[in-house]
Amino acid sequence: MSILVSGLTFRYKHFTLSVPELEIASGRLTAIVGPNGAGKTTLLKCLSGILPVPRGTVTLDGRDIAALTAGERAKRLAYVPQEHASAFNYSVRDFVLMGRAAFVPLFSVPSAEDIRAAEESLAFIGLGLDAGRPYGQLSSGERRRVLIARALAQRPEILVLDEPTTFLDPRHETELMEIARALSAAERKTVLVTLHDLDLAVKYADILIFLKEGRIVASGPPGEILTEGLLETVYEIKMSIFRHEGRTFVVK
Amino acid sequence: MKRVQPAAVLIVVLPILVFFVSLGVGAFPITPGQLGRALLSPLFPSLAAGLPEAAREIIFGIRLPRLLLALLAGAGLAVSGASLQALFKNPLVNEFTLGISSGAAFGASLSLVFLGSRVPPQFLAFAFAVGAVLIVLAVARSSDSPIVTLLLTGVIVSAFFSALLSLVEFFASPYALQSLFYWLMGNLSSSGWGPLALSLPLMAAGIAGLILMRWRLNVLSMSEEEAGALGVNVRREKLLVVGLATLITAAAVSVAGIIGWVGLIVPHLVRMMVGPDNRRVVPLSAALGAAFLMLADDLAKTLASSFEIPVGIFTSLIGIPFFIFLLRRSKRVWS
Repeated sequence: MSILVSGLTFRYKHFTLSVPELEIASGRLTAIVGPNGAGKTTLLKCLSGILPVPRGTVTLDGRDIAALTAGERAKRLAYVPQEHASAFNYSVRDFVLMGRAAFVPLFSVPSAEDIRAAEESLAFIGLGLDAGRPYGQLSSGERRRVLIARALAQRPEILVLDEPTTFLDPRHETELMEIARALSAAERKTVLVTLHDLDLAVKYADILIFLKEGRIVASGPPGEILTEGLLETVYEIKMSIFRHEGRTFVVK
Repeated sequence: MKRVQPAAVLIVVLPILVFFVSLGVGAFPITPGQLGRALLSPLFPSLAAGLPEAAREIIFGIRLPRLLLALLAGAGLAVSGASLQALFKNPLVNEFTLGISSGAAFGASLSLVFLGSRVPPQFLAFAFAVGAVLIVLAVARSSDSPIVTLLLTGVIVSAFFSALLSLVEFFASPYALQSLFYWLMGNLSSSGWGPLALSLPLMAAGIAGLILMRWRLNVLSMSEEEAGALGVNVRREKLLVVGLATLITAAAVSVAGIIGWVGLIVPHLVRMMVGPDNRRVVPLSAALGAAFLMLADDLAKTLASSFEIPVGIFTSLIGIPFFIFLLRRSKRVWS
């Protein structure tokens, strides 16, 4: 399932996000990168239907996202927030089960199938064994994975992750991006992430979107669009690009 | 493969035990044997033989309605508290902090003093309870820190309706004032079934609705953005939960006055025992709330021999120290 944007404008105080045209390709891992305040999270929320788009349209396989009910949207697209804070310390199992909200009728409780879907999601991210632990006791790496498991329990075709690697150490960073890659490469899901770390973006993304001051400066496969000139335009500092044994490295 | 916790079993059994014990509690002495025969007599009329007529009359005409009121009001206030705490993601929220109780108390007293007994007080109680909670929600919505504003606005709106209530008291006749005053302190001694005909089904319906929504409350306890992304129509379902809680509170307040703190202490005790999952918390709060209020009413009936102490005084005397304990404990988590 792909996301198609046309004529999107979103204004917030002194900031304007303007995306005349954009396609998030089906079954690929797309990363939105750019400096702080470029509008990455705003764009992500507009694409996920979390922020209503005042002008322009966002469509999921031809259907306007604004015309979908919350439940219909949640079955197609799952949004993974950067952080979750709750006054109630639910167990990992109960937390992931909440991903089934769109499938459980209002006056009902999750069915055996819902519970199975939650367990499968937990197994996928490798936390199936400790599902009784309270969410509040998890490490930040584990929390990110549980947030992804909850999104997977929605059985969506599109996964949207907001800064999934922030504050993670290199090992957990890698683990998380491997999960993202497995979701797009093996499970054929459309994965959209915002990333701070250019190296990770270059290593894992099929498509990069460079955003600056609310506008898309460049987009395409890293091998085709990544140049030192582009990085200087976007980040306003000099960076070098090295290619070694088929891999690309960005040095600040 | 669900684990059954001993605490959960205890909480479920408790109200059943308390119910039957409480039927025997009161000024008129009734032996357990008489009680059993009286309860079974509608099914087996032969058992009624030799039973004092007064015993039957007291059990079915006085104690049973009063006990059902205690059961449903206790269950209802606890379930509303548990649901509102989940919905507003704050353990201190309940029907008092949202102004629902004060709105209902004002509406019911307005009805009792100026419309008399022809109009059931539930209508105005519900109308003003809805009005109060809508004001609180509207003000909190337009704020940057909704939960702080919510609690503060709740206090202010409650104070406003208390002032209006004083105005009603000022204009009430001395006779009406006395009964109003006694009723407002929280009191389950209504006269028989008549006044309960409307409130008992309303409370039962509200409790059933919130118990059915118990899992949904888990999802609604996420941030609005998260719950929305998970596929919930947050606005609609939030209004539904607040509406059901308001219905229960208005129905309880209009016959039993202000019975405080049940909605705060009961859900917390339950969470301490079984954890935060509302699939357990909501139904177990109903059971524990019912047992708590029936027991409190037994105390209210029996502590003094020649008069009854309003049960609302007991629930407050137990609830306020517990609230202070909670505040101290929660400081570590919610700053």
